[in-house]
Amino acid sequence: MTSFAADLMGGLQLVAVFALAPLLTGIMRKVKARTQKRLGASVFQPYYELSKLWAKDEVVSEHSSWIFRSTPWIVAVATITAALFIPVFVPFSPFSAAGDVLLVIGLLALARFFTMLAGIDAASAFGGIGTSREMMTSSLVEPGLFLTIFVVSLTLGGTNLTGLVGAAARSGAVIAPSMLFGLISFFVIVLAETGRLPFDNPATHLELTMVHEAMVLEYSGRSLALIEWSQATKQLVLLALLVDLFLPLGMPASINASLPLLGLGALAVLLKVALLAAAVAFVETRVAKWRLFRVPDLLVVAIAVAMVGMIFFYL
Amino acid sequence: MQIPLSEILTLTAVGLLLSTFGVVLRRSFEGWLSAYRYQSIILAGSTAVIAYETGYWEIYAAAILTLVIKAVVIPRLLVSVTESVKDEFKIEANPYVSIRLSLLISALLVALSYGLIHETLVSTSLGVYALTYLPVSLSLFFVGLFVMVSRRMALNQVVGLLIIENGLFLFTTALTQGVSLIIEVGILADILVGVMISALLLLRMSQTFDSFDMASLESLKDD
Repeated sequence: MTSFAADLMGGLQLVAVFALAPLLTGIMRKVKARTQKRLGASVFQPYYELSKLWAKDEVVSEHSSWIFRSTPWIVAVATITAALFIPVFVPFSPFSAAGDVLLVIGLLALARFFTMLAGIDAASAFGGIGTSREMMTSSLVEPGLFLTIFVVSLTLGGTNLTGLVGAAARSGAVIAPSMLFGLISFFVIVLAETGRLPFDNPATHLELTMVHEAMVLEYSGRSLALIEWSQATKQLVLLALLVDLFLPLGMPASINASLPLLGLGALAVLLKVALLAAAVAFVETRVAKWRLFRVPDLLVVAIAVAMVGMIFFYL
Repeated sequence: MQIPLSEILTLTAVGLLLSTFGVVLRRSFEGWLSAYRYQSIILAGSTAVIAYETGYWEIYAAAILTLVIKAVVIPRLLVSVTESVKDEFKIEANPYVSIRLSLLISALLVALSYGLIHETLVSTSLGVYALTYLPVSLSLFFVGLFVMVSRRMALNQVVGLLIIENGLFLFTTALTQGVSLIIEVGILADILVGVMISALLLLRMSQTFDSFDMASLESLKDD
């Protein structure tokens, strides 16, 4: 495959990620509603919400600074750039020559950092609560995340995401024991990163429980639409990364495979991500939100499990 | 698709370790018991795998006995004994070592037992079962011991003892590919009697002190 065709494929992949991210949120909400014996809104509801928000007027507090106004754009751009590094549907990402998985984490952390700043910037009490909680969780997620990355990089070789996904695809259906532990800790970390239950409830505006919602409480209109879209994109990208690294069944090993194979791989990824999202929604129905000071317990599980994964790698 | 034997063994080893972490992580008696039940089911499964590979019918019998006694009888017995105890006494609210620290320590203990086994047994020619299961059984032993000493609740001591026993069972099965059935039955009967005695003690303790807190055993009766 020529490099132009590959780049075209990468561009298409990015467009697909952006177009499908709200649908994934919709699917999760629908599954959650059905498991709770509610009817739930249509799976396309997030699109309606986003288009309505996009057309609405915006209210900006007069006490806020430029940080508050620029944060949605910074978050959106950082998330787009991170998405360009990640091979989601095809084992190729346009930017993979320029950076590896650590850069992706850095970009997502940049988006999170500015969200936290914006939460404090408007000087509302809720923003402060949300920010301090987010800081606690994100600083505790980091060690588990890095240990998991070490496990994955050691097992598959390298930190380049295109290489990692290709290596995972080549390893086939038989999963290495260290990757099994990596899968468990990465799942916990994805739950924490995307703010799902038991860490954070994305569907609530109760002051006692919200974390991410509290930080973006001041936003309205177009800015809110941008932030929600970025959040949905981050969720899709992380879930797809989990699927591509740990459950690579159906993914072709390189971009040079024939077009039908690539299409089949993309379909398989879509299906697996949808199933995983449904599983996350089931988990959300099963568990209640944990007390904030018990959240470290769960993150320590991720750390401990990743540590055991390292041990299994060195056997 | 033919799944190789070593994959199955490794998967069961992973399951055993994860269920042990479950005991360390949970705070309630029901949580410990369900984790112990999963562990016993996986243990019976791995015993059955060994039985299938070696072809001794005694090991099948041991697997079935493990499943019945450890996954059904012992949890039921403990639940029925503690039925009259208030729920707030079945929760480990204030352990000597915090839950998150104990998780990290358990991971280190797992690392220690893998290190120990690989240091000592690297030259000897042991079978694939021994190489896979010996580190796991040693980790079960260590983590069970750690759970026993780091928690306040007497119920936790019983669960820790049961984990240690699971580890010893795995040790003998992996190393010898099944001692004679009579001995297995004897060990299981021993464990059953042990759990019954500790259940009676728990009952006495809950009647005398109104709690399972080990610290209350240190005070004199008339204080």
